[in-house]
Amino acid sequence: MTDLKIEATSRTPLIQLSGAKGRLHISGESYPEDVQRFYATLTEHLALYFAAKPAHLNVEIKLTYFNSSSARALMDLLDLLEEAAQKDITISVSWYCDPDDDITREFAEDIAADVNFVSINILDLDVAAE
Amino acid sequence: MEFERFFKFSQLLLRDEFVLSYSGYVSEDILEAVGDTLRQRLENHARNGKQIRNVFSIFVELMQNIIRYGGDGPQPGPQCGEKPSFGIVMVSENDGQMDVIAGNFVSKDEARILEERMAFLQSQTPTELRALYRQRLRETPESQSKGASLGLIEIARRSSLPLSYEFTSTSDDLSFFMIRATV
Repeated sequence: MTDLKIEATSRTPLIQLSGAKGRLHISGESYPEDVQRFYATLTEHLALYFAAKPAHLNVEIKLTYFNSSSARALMDLLDLLEEAAQKDITISVSWYCDPDDDITREFAEDIAADVNFVSINILDLDVAAE
Repeated sequence: MEFERFFKFSQLLLRDEFVLSYSGYVSEDILEAVGDTLRQRLENHARNGKQIRNVFSIFVELMQNIIRYGGDGPQPGPQCGEKPSFGIVMVSENDGQMDVIAGNFVSKDEARILEERMAFLQSQTPTELRALYRQRLRETPESQSKGASLGLIEIARRSSLPLSYEFTSTSDDLSFFMIRATV
């Protein structure tokens, strides 16, 4: 069972992983009390998903706010995706950033520059729709 | 408290446009409760969504800094749970600009190290801060304790003016550390 759904709270994002669709969705805000524990659940499910040697994973990130500890967790997540992408799993990330949040966009750009196998597209987040 | 002291305190607070202030022991629960209130207040006070995000982001990093690094306060702290971290955080508005100021006690040894880190952060340009943030993200947990924390770099990046700070000696062992970001 690789499917996962974690409902959003005021401090944690909505996380949906669908094995059948090869899709991961993360949206909302992220400044959990215990960042490592929160993201460990996702990491465990992703490891199971990748172990089954799927063809692809499409990731959608729509975070309106995340703190610096979550930034580190996101970098670890991208490292995990990069590792899987090196094993012939096609991974693409659509990373939506608020157009007037330069710092988050720069973070996404810096992460994108550090990966070679995962394709990352940085897009404008429609803030009003979120 | 005597009315006279309370009156002086209130006169001080009413001088600027205060959005919010909190003083006392800080925990993750308090961060969440005060953070929710701050957001509601910012809706009425802030210029735009960008200012709300930057103020809120600085507030979260400052509160978490106090939780992680702040020492015990002048009064006995909570007896149960995690180590007590005493601090004060204040958000005030003046002519459309918002100041986020925080203060907490640190040991004299910590103050010396922190002062070097703050001086270093203050000297960095926005481009250098971006590079520093990227470098710190990639560091291993052992080396993460050296140099400015990711949280402090985040605060410096989201502040529109260079960070200002001051240390005031309060006893033989302790200093009071104050930090201000402006958005």
